[in-house]
Order: sequence, then C-alpha cells, then structure tokens
Amino acid sequence: MKLSQRTRKLWPPLAVFGALISGWYALAYSLDNNFASGDGSALIIPPPHQLFVGLNDSTIDRIISATYISASTALVGLLTATIIGILVGIIMNLSRSLESALWPWLIALQVTPIIVLTPIIVRVAGPTFGARVLVTVLIAFFPIASNTLFGLRSVSQPLHDVFTLAKCSRWQRLAQLELPAASPAIFAGLRVSAGLAVIGAVVGDFFFTRGTPGLGRLITYFFQDTRSGPMFVTALVTAFLGLGFFVVVETLRRLIVSPWHQT
Amino acid sequence: MALSAPTAAHPAPNHQLQVEHLGHRFDATAVLSDVSLNVADNEIVAIVGPSGCGKTTLLRACAGLLSPTSGVVCRTDQSVGFVFQEPALLAWRRVAHNAALLSADQALIEHLLVVSGLGEHRHKWPYQLSGGTKMRLSLVRTLAAQPSLVLLDEPFGALDQITRHRLHDELARLHAERGFAALMVTHAIDEAVYLADRVVVMSQAPGRIVGEFAVPFARTRNNSLRYSPEFGDLCGRIAHCLETHA
Repeated sequence: MKLSQRTRKLWPPLAVFGALISGWYALAYSLDNNFASGDGSALIIPPPHQLFVGLNDSTIDRIISATYISASTALVGLLTATIIGILVGIIMNLSRSLESALWPWLIALQVTPIIVLTPIIVRVAGPTFGARVLVTVLIAFFPIASNTLFGLRSVSQPLHDVFTLAKCSRWQRLAQLELPAASPAIFAGLRVSAGLAVIGAVVGDFFFTRGTPGLGRLITYFFQDTRSGPMFVTALVTAFLGLGFFVVVETLRRLIVSPWHQT
Repeated sequence: MALSAPTAAHPAPNHQLQVEHLGHRFDATAVLSDVSLNVADNEIVAIVGPSGCGKTTLLRACAGLLSPTSGVVCRTDQSVGFVFQEPALLAWRRVAHNAALLSADQALIEHLLVVSGLGEHRHKWPYQLSGGTKMRLSLVRTLAAQPSLVLLDEPFGALDQITRHRLHDELARLHAERGFAALMVTHAIDEAVYLADRVVVMSQAPGRIVGEFAVPFARTRNNSLRYSPEFGDLCGRIAHCLETHA
C-alpha cells in the first residue's frame, strides 16, 4: 500500500520524536542514583512517564502564573521590537549617512550578550514589567531591523522608476512599493525574533528577583529545590511557548506573503 | 513639460519629444555625444545600436529619470509611459490590480485586459504568468495611463522568437487603437523595421547618431512582410550601417 503524502510528511518528525523519547528513557535509567530508594521517584532526570508526578495544584498554579508573565513579556516585547525594528530599517533606508551613523551601534548592541545588559537595566529601571519588555526588545529587534533594511534596499530600479514616473510621494513609495516588497524579508526576520523574544523574556527573568516569577526564575526555584519533575515541565512549557510564537508568526507569513511570494 | 535641467521649452508643434545635442558622462566616461532626434505625434521611432552605446541612458534622459550632462530634452505636458527590459510588476498585486496601478479608468483597463488576451489571467499573481504574458501586462499597465509618449527599452529582448512576433503585432494593434508616439530601443534590426516608422542607428560609445532610415511600409503590417525582399534589403542596409560604425 502506498503511503499518502500526508503520512510521508508526518513520519520523519515522528521518528525523531520517538528517538528523543527513547534517548530520554535511556539517559534516565542509565544514570546512577537517579531514583530514590523509597518511592522510586526520579531525583535527577525523570523518565517521561514520571514527568507529572509531584505536580500538585499549587505547583501548577505557579507554572501557569509564570507562563502568563513570560508570555505577556515576550508578546509585548516582540510587538515593540517589530515596530521599532521596522522604523529603524526605514530610517536607515532614507539615507546612507543615517545608515552609517546607526549601523555600528546596532551591531554593538547585537553582539553584547543580553545577560550582561539585564542587571544594568534592572538597576536603572527597577524590576518592572517595562524593564522586562526592554530586555526582550533589545534581544529581538535586530533581525527585524536588518531584514527590513535589506528588504527595502532590494526593490529593483525599474520598479522605483515606475513610481518616479507616476510622481508618487515618498509616503506612497514606502507604503505601496517598498514595504510590500520588503515584507518577505521582514517576516524572515520576525521568525528569528519570535524565538529570541521568548529567550529574552526567560533569560531576563533570572535577574528579576522581586514580584511574581516568570518561567526563568521559576525553573531556578525548582532547580534549587531539586524538584526535577516540575523543572522539566517548566522547561517543556518554555519550549512550547517559543514554538507557539513561531507558529503564530509563520501563520501570519503564510497568510500575508505566501500567496504571491515563492519561497 | 521639459524634464532636463537646462530648459523648460516645449517640443515643436505636432511633436511629442525633441532631443537636442544631448550628451552624458558617467564620471570620466562619455556615454552619449551630441544626440539630436525627435518623435512626432503617433510616430514610432526605433533606436538600434551595439551594446553599451548609451541607448538606455538616452531613453532614461528622455523620461526624465536622468539629468543629462549637456543638451536639452523637450516633451509635452502629457504623461510619459515607460516599458522596461523587465516587466517590473508588483509581485503582491494580482494581474488586474497591476494593470490598474497607474490608472483609475476601470473601463479602459478592462478593455485593454480583454484585447491583450489577459482577461482570463486577471486573478492570477505575476509569478503564475509566462515571460511573454508578464511583458504584455507591463504594456497594458503603461497604456492604461493613456500616455502621449511611450518609451520602450528592449521590452521583448528576453522572449523567444514566436512570443516576440506575437507581441510585435500586439503592440502594433494597441498603437493603432490608442494612438501614441513611441521611442523604442532594441538590439533586433528586424523588430525595429517591423514596428517603426523610422529607424535611428547609434554608434559605439560614446553613442551618437550615425544613420537614419525611413521605413516605407504601410502602417498595417503582417508577418509575411518579414520575408519580403524589401524588408530584407532595409534590414541589410541598417545592419551595414551598424557594422560600419561598431
């Protein structure tokens, strides 16, 4: 019997998933002293079927609350980074002088690890939601800015000439030609930034020692309390949060760009 | 409306374009030298010349997309249409939407889409079209703006021979229907003779005009003309002029 196209597409990721689960089991049962002598619960790495052992209502509430903090930080951060990134790309596209003035500082910001900037931001702005968002924006906006600039600069000369001959204003050229033409590149940047926004929200959270913890701080609590199960669940929730952001951006890209752009 | 910096003069009566002593340099390199030509109402003038002789530069100066180093370009106040070497379509607009980019006259756009055989493609995206159909759409978009002067920069250069011949007839039919002046740059001598009323020959760079040939055939032309001795003779004389000055 021939496999349907859908099945053929599905089985490679399922095979990798099976291999990962097998490896996880192998690792959990190969570690010395991984299981307590009494109730047999995992101490270091819980095997998949023990993940939810020890997850009481209070722990679940803490994970939900931390997920809300991190998700809202990542969402507001990504939206802000998108607006700022596109604006910076447009500004740099206005003139080579503006590009050469801004570009070195953007590179400097990009290559500086966010982990060393976060304590400075917390010290200056305090452990506020705004400070969390700022950390996320700093890590997420560069791919959008650089891809926007690349996309705007990629518009062909004949297309510019068509708009010049039609005596279009600068705004019409931007809105009707440059931004639509740059949208595939902008979405390519957004896909990278979506993952970075979640990373920024979680990593930045390590330094926010007051208020309700986000996923980053919660995972350190579970680590310090040697609660392997909740720690792994929190890690999985973080992974799914990143995946969710990616899926939303990818869905938007498919709706807006894919119908006319062959990728 | 004059497009070049030195003047705001209008062309002579019954003319859409007048170029006088045009010269242009890119840094130290002279591209055009003392080029003078004119295009009358409803006339098609073709320019042939070797690669790099400044044909496209001349066309861009005529459109006002480039300020020439010296000389004068005079045009009427009416709009100019430009058909580029590539179709220059907006990839994110469907065919009908692309055709309407430069015009709000829906009836005219609809008419042009139908007569150019694009009616059945109106809901397609540009990437779904063949090279010839894209170029046809580019032509429709330009003519929908009802320009009094159309500048064509090797619009059929990238197409196969059969498609090219079809589009020659398409352009001739639209010209007969809409009535516009045209200045067309091409590498193909047979294309120039088939479509134009006059063929202007340019020399190697710096480009200057070294020959001008009136095309004696009646305006309504068909494919059999290409195989007539008179057509071949005129093409031969133009080719000889081109080779002499290459």
